[in-house]
Amino acid sequence: MQELTNIPHWYLSLGGYRLEFNSETLIMSWLVMAVLVVFGFLATRKLSFLPGPWQTLGEMMVSAFHGLVADALDEHNRHYFPLIITVFLFIWLSNMLGVIPGLSEPTKDLNTPLAYGLMGFAISHYAGIKTKGIKAYLNEYVQPMFFMAPLNIIGELSKVVSISFRLYGNIMGGSIIILVVSDLVYGLILPPALNAFFGLFVGTIQAFVFTMLTLVYISVQTK
Amino acid sequence: MAIEGADLVRAAALMGAGISMGLGAIGPGVGEGFAAGKACEAIGRNPKEAGLLTRTMLVGQAVSESTGIYSLVVALLLIFVV
Amino acid sequence: MAFSTETWVQAAAFLGAGFSVGFGAIGAALGEGYAAGNASRAIGKNPAMSGPILKNMLIGQAVAESAGIFALVIAMLLAFMNVEGAPMIEAWALLGSGLAMGLSAIGSGAGGGFPAAEACLGIADNPSTQGALTTNMLIGSAVSQTPAIFGMVVAFMLMFIDWSGQPLWPGWAAVLGAGLSVGLAAIGSGVGSGMPAGSATAGMARQPGAATTIRTNMLIGSAVSQTPAIFGLVVAFMLMFVDWSSSPPWPTWAALLGAGLSTGLSAIGPGIGNGFTAQEASAGIARVPEASGPVTTTMLIGQTVAQSTVIYGFLVSLILLFIPRGASESMVAWVAPLSAGICMGFGGIGPGVGEGLAAAYTVNRIARNYEEVGVLLTRVMLVGQAVSESTGIYSLIVALLLLFVI
Repeated sequence: MQELTNIPHWYLSLGGYRLEFNSETLIMSWLVMAVLVVFGFLATRKLSFLPGPWQTLGEMMVSAFHGLVADALDEHNRHYFPLIITVFLFIWLSNMLGVIPGLSEPTKDLNTPLAYGLMGFAISHYAGIKTKGIKAYLNEYVQPMFFMAPLNIIGELSKVVSISFRLYGNIMGGSIIILVVSDLVYGLILPPALNAFFGLFVGTIQAFVFTMLTLVYISVQTK
Repeated sequence: MAIEGADLVRAAALMGAGISMGLGAIGPGVGEGFAAGKACEAIGRNPKEAGLLTRTMLVGQAVSESTGIYSLVVALLLIFVV
Repeated sequence: MAFSTETWVQAAAFLGAGFSVGFGAIGAALGEGYAAGNASRAIGKNPAMSGPILKNMLIGQAVAESAGIFALVIAMLLAFMNVEGAPMIEAWALLGSGLAMGLSAIGSGAGGGFPAAEACLGIADNPSTQGALTTNMLIGSAVSQTPAIFGMVVAFMLMFIDWSGQPLWPGWAAVLGAGLSVGLAAIGSGVGSGMPAGSATAGMARQPGAATTIRTNMLIGSAVSQTPAIFGLVVAFMLMFVDWSSSPPWPTWAALLGAGLSTGLSAIGPGIGNGFTAQEASAGIARVPEASGPVTTTMLIGQTVAQSTVIYGFLVSLILLFIPRGASESMVAWVAPLSAGICMGFGGIGPGVGEGLAAAYTVNRIARNYEEVGVLLTRVMLVGQAVSESTGIYSLIVALLLLFVI
């Protein structure tokens, strides 16, 4: 069970501070980014009326998500669509990586979901202030009564905690279960089935849930 | 630490007071809320009888409150008399 | 027979692992079973849609399962933890960690079942709304996992923070109380935030046109239902991060444990009660989308009043935590604060549920006929809630007597 607590590190000394990086998360995130950039390149070069396989795949994803974003956001905020689909693609691909032997999910490290959670939080509040104006935005914190303000603030902050820990808990949970079961049965039969369930099924659902919640947070703030 | 008999009895009485009032409050709380809810439902159907229904609701709640008051009495007895 | 400290810590870690996954499995199993039962009903109604219903059921169950998976993660970490050289207080922290995760997963697991079940039934009734229902089910079910996530955060902190700086007395009560506070408080909120998700999903199947309005109301209702769990989280943080080493161990430990129980238990009722209210509000808006303004306002008023008992519980916790108590080793001195916490904790459950029910029926009627009865009903609701609050106030009085008079 040493794998649970053993985290590979990179160290960097910068201006007297010692920075610590989780090398596994970094490399895997770069891998996901590289795959997405290559896919984006393949899908958007040589656009034609009769789409090739890459373009078809890209069009399918865009049309699937466009409907969801159009339902949730009004016209002034549709420009968040590329953000939403990028969040989904990154997290989904990250969750899929764990299925391939030798690779691991960057979302297994709490820092990745937390970064995305903080980003969604900042963007949703920026969108809220921009749409409603600072006065109406601040007024929401004293609803229904002024003394509820501290609770409303904690409630907003808890959204970041819940959205990132939900993803982290599910992906980390899946990989811990696979690790423990593989240890118990010496890697026979069961792990591929568990990989299929936790990697493909739960990974897809949780990526979708994370994306939808980011979208909903923006949509609630801009209402 | 030596526990004396009187100390033990007093402590048990205080714990009993807390448990009595705490558990005793569950039933009346749910019951009275249910009565209030049903009264509001009935007034919604028939707003003309609002006065009668509100009075009935209050009487019904007062009766279902009685077990809560028994708990309160027992708790106060345990705190101040025992 | 004397055991070494390490043995005790190891034993506590195993016991905590058992609590975590043992309690945590209750909710997930209930929620998934409820979803499966209603999926069967849905297939019975509309056998032609059995494929999509089955798919939807599996997706919904996978999300409702999250709480159970969190509990499993904490249990595994506890079971394989390295306890070498850990101080005695670590044993209590690990026990608290297991309780925080296990108890908090009960509500969220059960709550996640409501939207899954309603989505299956909705697909059977109105197959064309399938996509929207599955999306809403995922959002609603994920939101109702939030209380379990609070529990998981506290469980991680209890597990990985180094507690050796805290003295065993009264530190053990602080770490155990933190686990109990967040764990118990999450039960009601988890169930409560699942209820509006269920009725909103059912409503969308009937009124696909009003989907956005219904979802907004569902999210507001769920968020308010989670406020009691936030109170529990705040008390857990206070217990963990305030330095208790300068207070006299006796009777401070009893006050700390009482503070955890007071907020934790009293949050259960308002969590469930707010859920009832939000459920009827979402259902009402689905029936009459034009009434969404008055319905949401009444829902918020009703929920705020129903939350008063958890605010009493929080008040008693604050008194227990921050009003200093003189050192005393007599039994009365430590039983009184513990008893006050238990009294206010249990006393908050009933009124919380009851006031929520009262608001639920009111909201239901206001949605049907808001122009005619809106003001009248809100007034009667407030009177009814005030009366059912009285037992909560009696509990507060007894708790204050226990704290200040004797």
